[in-house]
Formats: sequence, structure tokens, C-alpha cells
Amino acid sequence: MSDVILEIEGLTRRFGSVLANDAISLRVRPGEVVGLLGHNGAGKTTLVSQVVGLLRPDSGSIRVVGVDAVAHPATARRCVALQAQAQAPLDGLTPLEAIEIAGRLRGMSRAAAREAAERMVDDLDIRDWANRRATPDGGGISGGVRRLTAFAMAAVAPVPLIILDEPTNDVDAARRRRLWNTVRRLGDEGAGVLLVTHNVAEAEHVMDETVVLDHGKVVAAGSPSQLRGAEGEELRLEFSLPLDGEDPSGTLGEPPVRFARRVRTGRRVLLTLAASDAASAVAWATALRAADRIEGYTLSPITLEDAYLAATAGAGTEPSDEEPVHV
Amino acid sequence: MSESTMQAPSEERRLLAVPPRANLGMTVWTLLRWTMAQTGAMLPLFVVVQAAIAGAVIVGFGLLIPDIDTPTAELLSTGAPTILILVIGLVLCPWGVAGARTSGTFTYQRALPVPRPLLLVSDLVVWLVIALPGIPVTVLVAHLSYGIDYSFDWLLLAGAFVLTTVMAVSVGYAIAVLLSPMLSQLVSQVMVFFVMLFSPITFPKDQLPDWFQAVHGLLPFQAAADLLRAGLLSDRFEPSGHALLVLVVWCLLGLIISVRAVIRRG
Repeated sequence: MSDVILEIEGLTRRFGSVLANDAISLRVRPGEVVGLLGHNGAGKTTLVSQVVGLLRPDSGSIRVVGVDAVAHPATARRCVALQAQAQAPLDGLTPLEAIEIAGRLRGMSRAAAREAAERMVDDLDIRDWANRRATPDGGGISGGVRRLTAFAMAAVAPVPLIILDEPTNDVDAARRRRLWNTVRRLGDEGAGVLLVTHNVAEAEHVMDETVVLDHGKVVAAGSPSQLRGAEGEELRLEFSLPLDGEDPSGTLGEPPVRFARRVRTGRRVLLTLAASDAASAVAWATALRAADRIEGYTLSPITLEDAYLAATAGAGTEPSDEEPVHV
Repeated sequence: MSESTMQAPSEERRLLAVPPRANLGMTVWTLLRWTMAQTGAMLPLFVVVQAAIAGAVIVGFGLLIPDIDTPTAELLSTGAPTILILVIGLVLCPWGVAGARTSGTFTYQRALPVPRPLLLVSDLVVWLVIALPGIPVTVLVAHLSYGIDYSFDWLLLAGAFVLTTVMAVSVGYAIAVLLSPMLSQLVSQVMVFFVMLFSPITFPKDQLPDWFQAVHGLLPFQAAADLLRAGLLSDRFEPSGHALLVLVVWCLLGLIISVRAVIRRG
């Protein structure tokens, strides 16, 4: 028995010369939804693969409810339900059958598995497809319903740790909200949830803790509000640049205010400034807009996405060439 | 205090312990149901393919031989089931495994809370079911084509069928997990030609040079054909201990490699 669901210490895994996980430490406690954020190639899936025993770490430890997952991977797998990033194998099954099978493999009785599957179908609003058979050519049910079914397969049985790897890909907005509500419910019922995503804006509302990975290292960790910084003291000014437009905030001496962080992703520039500088910043942005140097701007409170982009953009003041965050 | 808040602590305590192991029989049955749903959906197609191959081997090869005599017809007819099983194990199984590796199904299943060798067991059982129609299909085609009268040794036939299928599927599985998906497909295609044209399954082994006969003494193809033939025409062919030994060794080899691939961590 342990009071921590997942405890990872100094986890390191190398592929040839690439250090995919570099001394990563993180914890998931009962009832906690921990977001594991990072760009593609940041090492998120490598970390998850080691927790479920698909990969062996080079060094470090993984404990799931106190069980050494490196020494006893089969026991650890009983404690973990994974929704992988790849689609679950549903061909030949209906969503209801697939969810029920997942429950049965976790030791649920037929009646309990059926009842839990029916509940998941209603919670995720996929009743219309519940008895429709998935076909090998990708037909029968859509990609979004397949993804929701895979989520339900991971969430159907009571398990200490649920790992969700990009659970909302292909899912429509209304059902994404239902999925996030279910994630929150799982946490509230006492499970630990490790949520792997780059959909930062949406996941922000369900996460209790956030761990940001970049090039295999933890570059930021804490609650979303800790990562955002002191609320009310800082604001975000976002520019939309014209095609091939130059970032006006990078021109020496031009900005009338000092920016705490400056991040460029594609044609977006995200600037963090003190709330007291808002009036001069808006005046400057209006002038830039009038001169057609920017297509538009918005001034808003700091979001977790800003903090995430800043954490994964090197020192946080250099423009980033990373792909935009999915929102 | 509400009922739900009173229940919450016990639920939390339950989630902090390792969940009990699911009943093994139920796990196997559930995995079989899952695998059967995926592969079994193709079962009617597989039966048609088996009938087509049976026709090609028994009737098609017969057309190549003018004035076919009874011993030759018997060799063709009793070799056809072996070819069908080898095609299923060495071509269709690697094709399925390569697809599972490419789509992520293989990884998905290995992350399930079940003993990983059971994944292989459920695959083997499903392929046995898929291969089963091969025997009646070839018997029927041979009877219609040449009027062959069979003398079944049911026990030997069942044993040879299971051993040959498990050998072919486990070797095919091993090929698919050892090689990249594209390379395994290529190797399995080449093996079909080797099995159909250069293995003494549908023709006597003395038509091959001595060195090639020696090679086939160690490979599982002739051994499988000899055992199955003894099960189909028990009054004319005797099962050999050597064939049984060769088949068992290849079976173990395929199973060891496959189980290792299923349980290993990268």
C-alpha cells in the first residue's frame, strides 16, 4: 500500500545518441490529474512506454502504488490502464463490446463490465454508435468514436493509474468536453491520471499538476496557476503577423514596454507584460496595426499555454521554431 | 455526511492497492473473443482462398502431368493440406502480425493487464480455427478430381494438423517479429514459392538431388507433409519418428522466439 500512485525518480532512457528521457522525476497522487506536456519528440511517449513495461529504463525507478514497475512489469500493468496514442484494435467489435472486453480483462464480472460500459457510452454520448461494428477498412464508426471508445476502454474499470495519451485527437468539441468531465470524475473518485497532451488550452481546466518536458528533460513543473505566474500581475499581448512579417517586438528600442517573456510560434508572437504597462502596450499595438505591421492583436490574462510555450522555447526570450500548440 | 462522501475513502483505499489478478480462464476466453472478432471477420474470405489454393495444387498441378497415375494423384492430394497450412502460417500470419505492428495493435496488446504469452496463445488458437477448413476442403477437391479413397487415422491426423499449424504459425510469427514489417512480407512470399515448388510435399523426395534431400531432412516442410499424409492415407503411409522430431524442434524454436518477442522490453 502506498500513498502515491505513480512515483518516478531519475528516469533516464537513451536511444543511441538521443537522450529521450533525462533524469525525469514526477509524482501522481490519488485523485490528481497530472498533465504531461511537451512538443512532439519531447519524450512523453517514451516515459509512458516505460511505465507500462514496453521499454526498459537505462536508469532510475518507477513505482506504481508502491510496486517496482521495472522489476515487476506484469504486476505494474495490472495497476495501469493506458489509452495509447495509436487507435485501439476495434475491428470486428462494436464500441459496447470493446469497452466490455476491456472491463473483463481487468477482472470485472460480465454484469459489472456491461453496466460500466453502458455508463461510459452515455457519459461520452456515443449511444448512436454503441452497437455499430467497426470494420477493418476503417468503416463502421468514425475516428472520433474510435478514440472515445479507446478512452472508455481505459476508464471503464477502477484502476489506480490511468494514462491517457492524446485522448481528444479526432474528437468533436462537445464530446471533448464530456471526455474532460469524465477525466475529472476519475480523479475525483481517487484514481491518479497522467494526461499526455499538447492540447494545453483545453486540458488546463482538468489538470491539478503540470509537468512540461522538453528534449527529454523536465523544464517546468507545478500547478497550472503556479506555472502561469501570479494571476493579475501579468498580461499576454498576442500579435498576428502578416505572411513573412517581421516581429516588431524584436526590433531594438522600439517596444515602449519591457516584456517578461517573448515567444514566437509561426505567425503568432506572445508577449508577457506587467498589468501596469497595459495602456502603453495597447497604444503601441494600435499604431502597429494602423501601419499594417501586424494583422491584429489581443490583450488577455496569461494562460497556461503561454507559460508552456515559454518553458519549451529555450530561455523564454528567444523566438521558437517549434510547431504551434494545438488549440 | 452524504452517502457518497462516506463511500469515497474506501474507494480510494481500493485504488491504492494492486488490483487482483483476473481469472486466467476468463482472460483467455476474453482474449480469444477479441482476436476472433478481429481476424475471424476474415474467416469466410480465408476459406475461399483455401479452396482456391487447394484447387490450384490438386487440379492445377495435375494438369502439368499428362496421364496422371494414382500414386501421383495421391501425393498431390495429400500434400495440398500441408501447403494450405504452410501458406496460412508463413504468409497470412506474418501479414497479420506485420499489420498489427504497423497499426500499433501489437504494442497496444502488450500494454494490456494480461500475461503476454496469452496474446500468442489466443493468436495460435484463432489461426488453428482458420486453418481447420483446409483439411475437408482439400479432401473434397481431391475426391471430386481423382476419386481418391481416404483411410483416415483420426488421432494422427488431428495431432499432425495441430503440430503442423502451431509450427507454421509460430515460425511465421517469429519471422514477423524478428524482421521489419516490409522485409517479413518479402521473406514470406519467397517461402511460399520454396514450399510449393522446391519442397517434397506434392512430389517424392527422390526427385531432388541428395544434398537437397539432406536439407529437407532438417526443414519442417517435408516432415509436416509426411505426418499429415500418414494421417490421411494411413493404410499406405507410415508416420516417422524423425518427422515428428523435426516438427517438434521447429515448433519449439518458433514458440521460443515468438514468446520472447511478446514479453521483451525494448
